[in-house]
Amino acid sequence: MNTLLNLAVAAVLAGTPLLLGTLGEILTEKSGNINLGVEGMMFMGAIAGLAAPYLYEQQVLLVGSTPSKLAGAFLALAASFLAGALGALIYGFLTITLRANQNVTGLTLTIFGTGIGNFFGEYLGSQAGGYVALGDELKAAFANLSIPGLSQIPVIGKLFFQYNWVVYFAIVLALCMNHFFQRTRVGLNLRAVGEDPATADAAGINVTRYKYAATVIGGGICGIGGMYMSMVTTSGVWVYNCVSGYGWLAVALVIFATWNPARALLAALIFGGLTVLRLYLRIPGMPMQIYEMFPYIATILVLIVTSIRQSRENVQPKSCGKNYFREER
Amino acid sequence: MKRKMIGVLLSVAMVASVLTGCGGGSDSADTSQSAEETVQAEDSQEEADTEDEGQEAGGGIAKEDLKVGFVHIGDPSDMGYTYNHDQGTQKMQEALGLSDDQIINKYNTPEDAECDTALRELMDAGCNIVFGTSFGFEDYMLEVAKEYPDVQFCHCTGYQAASSGLENMHNYFTSIYQARYLAGIAAGLKTENNKLGYVAAFPYAEVISGFTSFYLGAKSVNPDVTMEIQYTNSWNDPKKEAEVAQALIDDGCDVLSQHSDSTATATTAEKNGAWQAGYNADTIAAAPKASLTSACIDWSIYLTEAVQAVIDGESIPTDWCQGLSEDGSEDAVYLSPLNTDIIAEGTQEAIEEAQEKIRTGELQVFAGPLKGVSPEGEEYEVKEGEHFPEQEEVSAPSWSYIVDGCTEVVE
Repeated sequence: MNTLLNLAVAAVLAGTPLLLGTLGEILTEKSGNINLGVEGMMFMGAIAGLAAPYLYEQQVLLVGSTPSKLAGAFLALAASFLAGALGALIYGFLTITLRANQNVTGLTLTIFGTGIGNFFGEYLGSQAGGYVALGDELKAAFANLSIPGLSQIPVIGKLFFQYNWVVYFAIVLALCMNHFFQRTRVGLNLRAVGEDPATADAAGINVTRYKYAATVIGGGICGIGGMYMSMVTTSGVWVYNCVSGYGWLAVALVIFATWNPARALLAALIFGGLTVLRLYLRIPGMPMQIYEMFPYIATILVLIVTSIRQSRENVQPKSCGKNYFREER
Repeated sequence: MKRKMIGVLLSVAMVASVLTGCGGGSDSADTSQSAEETVQAEDSQEEADTEDEGQEAGGGIAKEDLKVGFVHIGDPSDMGYTYNHDQGTQKMQEALGLSDDQIINKYNTPEDAECDTALRELMDAGCNIVFGTSFGFEDYMLEVAKEYPDVQFCHCTGYQAASSGLENMHNYFTSIYQARYLAGIAAGLKTENNKLGYVAAFPYAEVISGFTSFYLGAKSVNPDVTMEIQYTNSWNDPKKEAEVAQALIDDGCDVLSQHSDSTATATTAEKNGAWQAGYNADTIAAAPKASLTSACIDWSIYLTEAVQAVIDGESIPTDWCQGLSEDGSEDAVYLSPLNTDIIAEGTQEAIEEAQEKIRTGELQVFAGPLKGVSPEGEEYEVKEGEHFPEQEEVSAPSWSYIVDGCTEVVE
């Protein structure tokens, strides 16, 4: 029982950065743009999300007062969003305005963002004379919450009410995004742009504006996912290559979640759970390499099942990967 | 049509020139090199001289003409393994008075064909001695070492130098297990649950030897202690390291140690109110409330020795390994300063006592009676009064048996 509880908690924590990356990529792909630069945008968000509170802390300590938790958390969130959005803006300009190949541009963004993250991480580290490490006050801003009354309930308290705030932020974001796609006119328009931009254009929807907005905001959300890696996973210490491939997992997770934000919640939980499964549940005689294959086997299975069902709902938006030339209509 | 013909002719000419260029290069690397790079003329002259004497490194090389190459798997920003090695390079450079352009670093080189490229680039740059610091570089170094018999190749953590029969191939490592044993003492005294956790990279001898010595150190001061080991299957994956550390803590471990590159183990321990002993880098700055101490390596001793040997024209030992020295003047391994705010009472004294005994040889880390089983199921026993010759004959760690009290979670 205790092991299962620990496993569930670990799964939520492991799934959160993946969930954020996935949500960002779902939003991007819904507009018909496939941005393979999730990894790069996460790196940019990771370093910006660490650098902003770090520099803020340095300034405050210089004056001699103590940094505020709330300001630190807000700075991390805003900076990582902006950094991810900036990466996506580059991608957007190249693919939407200049109509460059989406796959190539996305891959380039991955390399670019990885370089940016590691370069500035190293730069800040050498400035600090070793580690870029946050002080206790700001570290506490990303520590597990303790909600009076709720967190103390046995089992339920641990299962639901003691995560860091980013976890709740990601869950709320997923639900909001689901509502946005299913229940709002703007969301419907965005889906129309992703399915068939020519038709959407004919219906009077500004395709370019929708594509830009979705790509940039989606990139920002990926950036927040990166911030989770540097602020929560490594607790406010810059670690070389800290995102280390999890951006790519997020891209796989988009498929696993069948482009549905609400399902992404469940998918991230399962994916996160499968990545930590071997640490908690041991099946005697099973090599750990098999455990590490589980998330990918699950992705393949989902792909097979969705392609058998041939549902039009749960597939990639039709125009994904193709740039929209108005003149070619 | 005309244009096409010219194009074809040009490309044929280009291919031909490339082919002849390569052919010349592999026939006599030295001559083509000196022809291409006049700057290196002096170097080649030196190398030609050594060839005349027919010695593996004989004759020596003037300090000003010396070039030292490094192939690293990461870069110093990892604040761990590569950073530590780089510190050794800088100390060596200072000790020998080499200028910055005499040292060429190839950072972030993966353990694949890129390593071969990096090595050949170092050869082209005229390096006289090359250090490769990651396990997977060894095969590539052996290949290049065959082609450049006048250049010395030193590979860290490897084991094939002696068996390769190449006189210019060498292996080196340090007896880090001694420092780990001392770190284990700090952990054994600190633990309240009597359960240690170890975030390990891969089930290799280097890692197993490391955690076994850590555990034996803890057990020497706390006979009831047990240890759980979990693997990340990666040298540097902070997310996985954090997850493994969390799993160990969830399983009741309250002092962790690690054989992996990042600080994630330290910060995860801090977040959970547990403690941690590091490897390669002092992690107190990263996790001040959790880091007890770190087992560290001083590479400068070997680097200085090897480069000096090239300058003097002496041979470099095929296998080099050094740990705590008898008089403490040149310790290749050491313990970073203890975090006096959190270590258990008496830790300092216990560590000093053990360190003194290791120096004099009175204390052997892998001393009998000791029984272990390798991951492949092979049993091994060290009898009372004997000890396992860890790193005595070869520089690479070879203890690869799980001892009683350690639970390794492979499956």
